[in-house]
Amino acid sequence: MQYGFYFNQNRCMGCFACIVACKDWHDVPAGPVSWIRIKTIEKGRYPDLSVSFLPQLCVHCASPACAAVCPADAITKRGEDGVVVVDSEACLGSTCGLCLDECPYGAPQFGAEEDAKMQKCDLCIERISIGKKPICVSSCPMYALDAGPLDELWAKYGKCREIEGFEYSENVIPSIVFTPRKNSGNSRIRKIEIAPSVKTATSG
Amino acid sequence: MTRNNTGKEQIIRTICNSHCGGNCEMQVHVKNGRIIRIEPDDREGRPRMCLRGHAYRQRVYAPDRILYPLKRTGPRGAGEFSRISWEEALDTIAFEMKKVKSEYGNAAFLHFCSMCDPHVLHHVGAFHRLLCKFGGYTAPWGFISNEAAAFSAGATYGTYRRYSQVEHDSEEYLKAKYIIMWSWNPVDTEQGTNTPWHLMQAKEKGAKIICVDPRYTDSAAVFADKWIPVRPGTDTAVLVAMANVIINENLHDEGFINSYTSGFEKYKEYVLGSTDGLPKTPEWASAISGVAADEIKEMARLYATEKPAVLATSIAAGRTAFGEQYHRAAAALEAITGNLEFNDWQSRSPKGFRINPHPTPPNQVEQEAPPRWNALPFRGKSVNSSARVNISLFADAILKGKEGGYPADYKFLWLSNTNYLNQLSEVNKTAKAFERLEFMLVTEQFMTASARYADVILPVCTFLERTDIMSPRAASIFGGKNVVGILNKAIEPLGESKSQLQICEALAPKLGITDYGNEPDENRVREIVAQISEEINLPDFETLRKEGIHIIEASPSSDSLKGTHSKPSPKPFSTPSEKIDIYSDVLARMNHPQIPAVPTYIEPWESIHDPLTEKYPLQLITPHIKRRAHSQFDNLPWLRELQEQRLSIHSTDAELRGIRHGDMVRIYNDRGEVRIPADVTERIMPGVVAIPQGAWYTPDKKGIDYGGCANVLTKNATSPGGSFVSSTALVQVEKEDR
Repeated sequence: MQYGFYFNQNRCMGCFACIVACKDWHDVPAGPVSWIRIKTIEKGRYPDLSVSFLPQLCVHCASPACAAVCPADAITKRGEDGVVVVDSEACLGSTCGLCLDECPYGAPQFGAEEDAKMQKCDLCIERISIGKKPICVSSCPMYALDAGPLDELWAKYGKCREIEGFEYSENVIPSIVFTPRKNSGNSRIRKIEIAPSVKTATSG
Repeated sequence: MTRNNTGKEQIIRTICNSHCGGNCEMQVHVKNGRIIRIEPDDREGRPRMCLRGHAYRQRVYAPDRILYPLKRTGPRGAGEFSRISWEEALDTIAFEMKKVKSEYGNAAFLHFCSMCDPHVLHHVGAFHRLLCKFGGYTAPWGFISNEAAAFSAGATYGTYRRYSQVEHDSEEYLKAKYIIMWSWNPVDTEQGTNTPWHLMQAKEKGAKIICVDPRYTDSAAVFADKWIPVRPGTDTAVLVAMANVIINENLHDEGFINSYTSGFEKYKEYVLGSTDGLPKTPEWASAISGVAADEIKEMARLYATEKPAVLATSIAAGRTAFGEQYHRAAAALEAITGNLEFNDWQSRSPKGFRINPHPTPPNQVEQEAPPRWNALPFRGKSVNSSARVNISLFADAILKGKEGGYPADYKFLWLSNTNYLNQLSEVNKTAKAFERLEFMLVTEQFMTASARYADVILPVCTFLERTDIMSPRAASIFGGKNVVGILNKAIEPLGESKSQLQICEALAPKLGITDYGNEPDENRVREIVAQISEEINLPDFETLRKEGIHIIEASPSSDSLKGTHSKPSPKPFSTPSEKIDIYSDVLARMNHPQIPAVPTYIEPWESIHDPLTEKYPLQLITPHIKRRAHSQFDNLPWLRELQEQRLSIHSTDAELRGIRHGDMVRIYNDRGEVRIPADVTERIMPGVVAIPQGAWYTPDKKGIDYGGCANVLTKNATSPGGSFVSSTALVQVEKEDR
């Protein structure tokens, strides 16, 4: 089985609740390490603009490049759920950093301290094991995130594997599906039309 | 923050309410008496915390928390203090209070307690009770956030309820076909628990959403089908012009107007220009506001015809000069189109909810004073008393006193859980006023800019260190249903910190007050639950405390509980006409040129036509930022690293000044100077700059603020209705010389 993430780009408002919830849950101090980050994608010139958001985290690839390149075999992919985990005792530290070079999604995180060990999202395997969702999913006030077995996510949300800001890589096969942003273009010149279905649904 | 892996982990439920307008459930994990993590409530549809709630552990254990009583050892504002015992602190305070009382009388005491995180017990009421038992004090009047809206609601509906047009229940958004979000950015401000989620559901159902704002906010980015930038301070002109289009095109709702409103004809005269010869056309408003006339026409037509439509005019634009008119114009527009919903907002709170755990004798200082000239009857005798000082004018009152026309000379200031210096206008003037005081007492969690001026600081614990009950209210997240909930104490107060109520209890006997009371919080909360239960069916205390937020289902017999969303014949409004007063007799009687009886656009001071623009050509606005609730949370590393305090400036304005993204810039006017990095962006109107409010004032020796406190630059003046004006200020920006 392969676990993965789902992200709905229409719903994410860049509120950062997931980032802080993750730092609190996993006791990650302020600093360069953040197991989940939110990228803001801004486009256009005043007044014709669009802004959208994208979470950046480990997407627990089917063939993780980080694991393949790790000289200390510190990164492994779990058989039971496909979650990619790191053994920080075995990790050679930031002076090595090969995993970060190889990862197309910037998932491996290193602290500022000398020879910091790699850390990253572990899909909250502890929470999953007691039937909970990862903390980022549970904390999202917009229900923009989900996580679970990939086939269940596909059945529920479809198989869209690329959105603005995220490129699918055949080499690593990331375990994430998306709902892309609707109308991500210029929001100002769009003509406002009220959909007939809405009119009927709420008239009277 | 290292975790100890031994010991049993307990999960305590409580409710966060950090003065953001939301109430979110928290599951606090505690081990060996320490909070190790805070988990959201992951039940579907329950209020989910924002980033600030998730960072609360860092607030509790912040290294800069004040944990012991302190006394000042250096000059005011220098921040030099030494630790003292509670005994010494209380004796000092009591001695100074008695001295001021005997030398100047009780009116010489000024006290203000902001919202911070209080609920029912640990609330301004506890201080009010103490000070009234001490013989009275000068209390403030005016809501910092929304006085313009309260003034408008009082004049228009005769009630404080539904003080802003944002106060819609989630159900109203879900039904809407057309939603106008006006100067409203709930992504950053919360403003009603999880409001963005309701808006998203409305959007997914097909509602069209318009965002009117000088900034392309994250709310505009996520929700808006169209963004309409508007020049700060000119919102009223656009709203009035929308009324012009609606009346001219006969799109108004005559039936609704005749049944429920009064004074439409007089407003029509103003809007069409039959009295002053100036029709308030979209072209007229366009020249003022920068909004294209066609956009105004389209918005007006869709708002009047695509019903149900929601006009969500937030309180932000109300914090500009003459903000009362913005709220009045919005209320008028809502009424003349018949878009106003009578979801019993006039009498939402059932009787059992009117809890007062702090019974208080009358404030003697207010007893003889007549009402203020701009008082609205619905506020009551006490708030309307001319003995009070407007919340924006403490500094002015301290500096000028009786000679300046104030009712008293002010000698003793007590600030509780409020960073007044930082959060009210004209910081440098306030600092001068604080230097003049005979004694200043601050009850706080952190060494804020205000606390640095105190003679004595008393340490207050956070809400995770005490028991309370959530102020019962109608919650928009639950469709306007009434809710209540217990805040369970998760850990013991850190250091020697005490709750707000404990501080009052400890001080009372020192002041010779023998009947203040001294009861454990939990007993008091149990009593309150018992009181509410007399009127409303509640689970027992033990069940309630495990539940988080309890939703009170309306019983069919109770008409005071949540009713249906329909348009029944409303109870008469408490206005002179007993209807919605588009024309207000109450306002007419105030006989003030800047408080007209019908909603009217009045050009703000420091507008773009002010000669001052030669020196200071840019309009400053001071919006909220995600990582703070006002000045709260500014010091937490988890939050600071997410958003730098920066000046938003449009690329053309930046280019003119040779400013590049990230450059350190000077933002200044005659009132002061702030230096922070520039955020050169497309997401703000040219001619407008923004500094997020709430950053802690951090002056250097010359008084230049490097913290980025917006109120260094705002003007210490109230709108004629009494509102705090935070987004009407002209400034200049230039690149810092190195």
